[in-house]
Amino acid sequence: MAGPLPEGRFPLSWFPSGPLGALLEVRGLTMRFGGLTALAGVDLDVGEGELVGLIGPNGAGKSTLLDCLTRRCSPQEGSMRLGGQELGGLPPHQVAGYGIARTFQNAALFPGLSVRENVMVGAHRHGRAGFWGAALGRTAAEERGLGEQADALLETFGLSAYADHPPTALPYGLTKRIEIARALAAGPRLLLLDEPAGGLAPGEVPAFAQLIARLHRERGLTIIVVEHHMEFVLALCRRIVCLELGHKIADGPAQAVRNDPAVISACLGVVR
Amino acid sequence: MNAVAAGHRRLPVGHEAGDRRPDWPWRRTSLALVASAAVVLPFTLPPYRLFQLTLVLVYTVALLGLDLVVGRSGRLSLGHGAFFGVGAYTSAVLIAQFGVPYPLTMPAAALATFGLGWAAGRPALRLRGLYLAMVTFAVAVVLPPLLKRLAGLTGGAMGLTVPAPEGLLGLDDDQWVYFLVLMVTAAAFAGMRGLAGSRPGRALTALREHPAAAETLGIRAATHMTAAFAWSAMYAGVAGALYTWTAGFVSPDSFTLALSITLLAGVVIGGLGTLAGPVLGAFAVLAVPAVAQEFDPAAPGIVSGLLLLLIVYVAPAGLAGLLRRTLWGLLRRRA
Repeated sequence: MAGPLPEGRFPLSWFPSGPLGALLEVRGLTMRFGGLTALAGVDLDVGEGELVGLIGPNGAGKSTLLDCLTRRCSPQEGSMRLGGQELGGLPPHQVAGYGIARTFQNAALFPGLSVRENVMVGAHRHGRAGFWGAALGRTAAEERGLGEQADALLETFGLSAYADHPPTALPYGLTKRIEIARALAAGPRLLLLDEPAGGLAPGEVPAFAQLIARLHRERGLTIIVVEHHMEFVLALCRRIVCLELGHKIADGPAQAVRNDPAVISACLGVVR
Repeated sequence: MNAVAAGHRRLPVGHEAGDRRPDWPWRRTSLALVASAAVVLPFTLPPYRLFQLTLVLVYTVALLGLDLVVGRSGRLSLGHGAFFGVGAYTSAVLIAQFGVPYPLTMPAAALATFGLGWAAGRPALRLRGLYLAMVTFAVAVVLPPLLKRLAGLTGGAMGLTVPAPEGLLGLDDDQWVYFLVLMVTAAAFAGMRGLAGSRPGRALTALREHPAAAETLGIRAATHMTAAFAWSAMYAGVAGALYTWTAGFVSPDSFTLALSITLLAGVVIGGLGTLAGPVLGAFAVLAVPAVAQEFDPAAPGIVSGLLLLLIVYVAPAGLAGLLRRTLWGLLRRRA
């Protein structure tokens, strides 16, 4: 990266991807909650178009890392850069504008909105309508556009039949898909999935892994998957990163990490 | 093992699953009926009843606004009676003291309450929980004594009397006011319908139901909440101006904390987060006590209290929810 860059917001395309084509560069990330150190100097590079599995036992700091990236937590030390742009110090609502979208552990859908509307909220940042425009009824064209985009996404995920349903009445596996559709509606460069297979029936897991693999392949998305379910991660990701007690203890090709003694001892009871 | 269970399991569909597609097949017919009733009623009702009906419309506007905060944003406002009062006094003072033509006083009231709502909401909405309730409570408590104090402008405790707008197009004064209020109510209703069904309305629902997820999707909480509160205050202010035209008299004691609480009760009785709720709620808090009054002087309080209890226990989704369920029942029986 040449020279210091002026402060301010720039279109991401102004910045070449960082060194070695890394889209995301995390350096020395440290997050403490009172006396508890959730992340202790974590480094992580994720290249453009990579699909990385992030594993580790409970309390390893996996979700905290996602929370830092989406600015729900403010790390005490370290830097996080996306395409060369520092994320530290941003308010949470600006992260979407930088091209990060995420899902939550417990499918954080909005029960008061229909499935289609949930996905339309995902595209919030692509809309322009404010209170005046909406109250004066000048939003028809935009609404149609957002609706069509949402319908296309729902079709991709096999959810068209449920577009007008509230998400609460649907099985868990479907709500997980809706949440991914909603995240995609934001048009991210980096998609963070927090335990996408958590709570799924065993039979649903392989199909879900295929769905994510297809997204990765067809859309060229960069994805980080946080997951307990080892088989799911092994089936899905070529590269796996393992955290334990806030430290990165392994990072490399899936099979190598899977056979790493440190990983096996850390994730004992998870690795089957 | 059942691969991708969703395809095989029988899912609840339509009404069972709470499908929210427009399900009332006679939407236009019903709307036409309501519209024609609204046009015919002023020529058939005795003047006192017409006055009451006009007040119901005035309250409907205020409740539409309050619902934006309480129903859609999930915050509590104890100050909408005060915003209503500020709107009423803005209109009354401009007409009575400065001779401003009455139609111009409505935008003035809207502007004043929008600004006041923005100023009160901006700091309070950044904080979570009950802070907005406290700030609005303060507004509600401060207004009546302030109005009494500024006697030179507001007429003090005696209040201000405002000449009624003169009837045009061969209508009586009260009929003319009724139609003015009806037009504003219809516009307010259409505005809220547009808000609720598009980007800002969805953003408010998202912020209410899962603030973390909403923010991650790029929704800025402070901006949306403040705008919603300012709009809400503006609706109350417009309702206040309409009240001045209708009642022709304002006094500080009309806009106490009790009015704020009454509005709050109205929005809950009507049904939170719905469009029909404010209309039904306005009927409930005005018409029910008025009718009960005719039977016994003690009846309004008792009937209103019982109605409130009944709603909370029997129809937590308010009268709008009850109406919806009844209509569904009728439809299902036909099918």
